[in-house]
Amino acid sequence: MNPRVLLFAYLGALVAISLLHSPALLATLLLFAFIASGQDRLALLRASVRALAVFTLTVGLSWLLYSWLWQGAPDGRWLLLVILRVLLMVYLGLWFVRRVPLMALLERWPSATLLATLTLSQIAIYRRLLADFRLAFTSRRAAPPRLTDRARHAGAQGIVLLDKSLAAAADAAQALRSRGVFDLPAPNDAGAAR
Amino acid sequence: MHIPDGFLSPETFIPTWALAVGCWSWAARGLRTRIDETTLPRLAMLTALAYALGLIMLPLPGGTSGHALGVALLALLFGIRLAFLSYSLVLLLQALLFAAGGITALGVNALAIGLAGSATAVAVHRLLRGAYEPLAVVVAAYASVLASAVLIGLALGLQAHIAYDAAGRPLYFPFSFHIVLPAIVVPHLFIGLGEAALTLVVWRYARARGWTSRADA
Repeated sequence: MNPRVLLFAYLGALVAISLLHSPALLATLLLFAFIASGQDRLALLRASVRALAVFTLTVGLSWLLYSWLWQGAPDGRWLLLVILRVLLMVYLGLWFVRRVPLMALLERWPSATLLATLTLSQIAIYRRLLADFRLAFTSRRAAPPRLTDRARHAGAQGIVLLDKSLAAAADAAQALRSRGVFDLPAPNDAGAAR
Repeated sequence: MHIPDGFLSPETFIPTWALAVGCWSWAARGLRTRIDETTLPRLAMLTALAYALGLIMLPLPGGTSGHALGVALLALLFGIRLAFLSYSLVLLLQALLFAAGGITALGVNALAIGLAGSATAVAVHRLLRGAYEPLAVVVAAYASVLASAVLIGLALGLQAHIAYDAAGRPLYFPFSFHIVLPAIVVPHLFIGLGEAALTLVVWRYARARGWTSRADA
């Protein structure tokens, strides 16, 4: 199916799901999505549960406690409603991204594709860099670091990131210029603008 | 700090999406005409920088930590519009690729953190820089974190007042302002200190390297 059709279907589904307040209906839709998503279903479910766990469970358990203390009985229906709604939304989002690569959505806009490519590749580099920083920081210390050590460490990471960003922007600019990426007008961009 | 999908009512996320689209259009207006081999990589690297700054853990007293936002730093170095665009792109990528935050909540998150956070930082910095600029940077970063936290708290707290069923039970985020505002703002009183220190350190470094602040690049 056309990626843009899938995008609009996904966005429409999000709005529709946010209007549903029946746990039974949400559970049925989640079951349909689970069955329809094919062999990836268990991986998608695991990733969805991981993504929603912290915020949803913190708010949900707080609400259970609050309703129990102030209203006399824990309100489990709300918790079920919200868990099912959030789980369905996250599940659909991850399924959508697995079926439709981000670049496929941007293919009509070369500039946006270029922007996304540069950004995502740089993000991957920064994630590795910060992981290395953390490992190095931990391995250098036998005792737990003090507050000032951790503050200095955070500052050092910020400086390296800023330095690398500006250097990488200059490198990418030179690379794009040397390859003549912007020498010719992008017909698709112009078409999209019209 | 950002809100995930499923906690905001359509009465909240549809108007805020509309407002955010208008603001994105304003922020990109100057950029669209000058997208070239210099501006495009710069925006990409700023977006990656904003994402990575959010991965830096800020130490809090007691051995815990929170993560940085980096919006104030971006705003002070590159201006409100680029900071807003970069942070919005980060939120979009986080929502789509890492299921952090959400698509329905993107408008609220982008306006509260990306736009209000960067506008607060620039406004406070302009107000105080005549007195002592490092202090202006610290207060700007601190105020930016708190402004975003308050707006996120207001958006969440509003749900208990506008979206409930016939029995009065909440349909989306359940807690009202008197619970959600302290729950979000109090931790950010400490996270803001870390953010302010990080912003000052990196801002000083940037200034020593000759990267001047740009009012609205």
